[in-house]
Amino acid sequence: MIEIEHLTKRYGKKTAVDDLSFAVKPGVVTGFLGPNGAGKSTTMRAIVGLDAPTSGLARVNGKHYSEFRSPLTEVGALLEAKSVHAGRSAYKHLLALARTHGIPKRRVTEVIDLVGLHEVAGKRVGGFSLGMGQRLGIAVALLGDPAVLILDEPVNGLDPDGVKWIRLLLKGLAAEGRTVFLSSHLMSELAQTAEHLVVIGQGRLLADTTVDDFVSGNGRSRVRVVSPDAARLAEHLAGPGISVASPERGVLEVTGTEAAVVGQAAAAHSLVLHELRTDRGSLEDAFMQLTADAVEYRQTSEGANR
Amino acid sequence: MTAAVMTDRPAAYTPPANYKLSAAGLLRSEWTKLWSLRSTWIVLLCAVVFSAGLGALIASSVPSDQASGGAGAALDFSMAGISLASVFVAVLGILTVTGEYTTGSIRSTMSAAPRRVSVLWAKAAVYGAVVAVLFGVMVFLTFFMTQAIFSGTDLGGVSLAGDGVLRALLGYTAMIVYLALLALGIGSILRNSAGSIGFYIGVIMILPQLATLLPWNWVADVTPYAPGNVSNTLLMVDPGGANLSVGESWLWMGIWLVVTYGLAGVLLKRRDV
Repeated sequence: MIEIEHLTKRYGKKTAVDDLSFAVKPGVVTGFLGPNGAGKSTTMRAIVGLDAPTSGLARVNGKHYSEFRSPLTEVGALLEAKSVHAGRSAYKHLLALARTHGIPKRRVTEVIDLVGLHEVAGKRVGGFSLGMGQRLGIAVALLGDPAVLILDEPVNGLDPDGVKWIRLLLKGLAAEGRTVFLSSHLMSELAQTAEHLVVIGQGRLLADTTVDDFVSGNGRSRVRVVSPDAARLAEHLAGPGISVASPERGVLEVTGTEAAVVGQAAAAHSLVLHELRTDRGSLEDAFMQLTADAVEYRQTSEGANR
Repeated sequence: MTAAVMTDRPAAYTPPANYKLSAAGLLRSEWTKLWSLRSTWIVLLCAVVFSAGLGALIASSVPSDQASGGAGAALDFSMAGISLASVFVAVLGILTVTGEYTTGSIRSTMSAAPRRVSVLWAKAAVYGAVVAVLFGVMVFLTFFMTQAIFSGTDLGGVSLAGDGVLRALLGYTAMIVYLALLALGIGSILRNSAGSIGFYIGVIMILPQLATLLPWNWVADVTPYAPGNVSNTLLMVDPGGANLSVGESWLWMGIWLVVTYGLAGVLLKRRDV
């Protein structure tokens, strides 16, 4: 369980996170979504105590991170891929971290095998590709077999196999009752892994909901109709909350109602339909719409303050 | 038997209980970190080669009609390499901290030990101990080697039992450990390799030497207390004419380390990583 309460972080005059509050529950994968620069990394860094909040709290299982007697078994974090000395081997990097907690060498080789770095474990990290660096970061996060996992953009630089692997891995870890919190700026990425979503824009909370609700609530689903009697059908559909557009002759795009209603209206007036289809808005659309609104809101509110 | 309750949410996960963050763990971790970098081996090798090699080279090139003999002069020649080696040792001390910041590995380190200050103690303890052991050996090795070269001259025949000789040799070891720790603390304060090395060489090493050229009397009064100078008395076989007594020398080394590590500790707690 991660609890963020009224978290605010300013770097000089720039506000990275602005009065953010949400909770991440165990047992499901929670996605942390926002455009680049929205404050995702800052929030995650505050959780593991690397950045001190300007105000507010970030707690893990009821405690501030620095209160833990064994931080690595409580929280495993992948923050930036480059959190390793380039001159040190992957094995030694993991070993040095393991030793702080008395974690045995056996566990170090175990996580190296788990992330698939067995063959390059003795090589210096400076020569690693982005994907290998990411895998090492994931190994670090898993080292203490922790109850909470925090992963900042874990799929960056991974090949398609790696992406698939990490999805399964994270779902499996959540199914064991762990708290799994991962960020991405790509909605499509999270949609395939996460069940729950926390969306932020410009440091503020935009949504804290399930992936399904997020899509149905924010996606612009519309009904597309192709009919030789399009004009007459449009007249019969008109009503409050329903808008009908005709992008081309014989085609209607109806929002604010469902395909069944459109079909019934057509049948009631004996109008011929050639096509009746519901277009779900893509997740990416939903996300863009939400964050675009946030940007607009922010700009108008700032203007109003002057 | 416990009845398994089927719920949508899985049972709470309990992390392994046998792993604990400890001071001993942090020391072992810093030990691993120190020796797993190629730069450590290279820099320490350079320090060893310089201290013994330069000592031998200088010892064998001292003219046999050297005017002043005695233990004091003998040690000045023998230990010239040790003094130079202190620069290597200081630079490596800086890099053990700043290397973590420039590469980002400090984030891994501080995530594992979020109280932070204990990491600084562990680093200082491990590096200080390594330097103390290595140069404890090198100082005496260099001394016996150069004495063998000096044998038969006015500079030869200096015995460890001689007045102040053993204390001066231990003083060289103490000086190099002190400078190593001072440099490591500076690295922790400045967090930047180039900045810290520049500061160490410019302000700790060179500035006190240049200051003696300045026309004001108070500068000359103050320079013996500069962080880079306070250990000088310890190197003398006969500290009679020194600005600081042996006791004052130790005291001021302590003061400068407390100031440096106090500031480093406060900043480490306060700054974002």
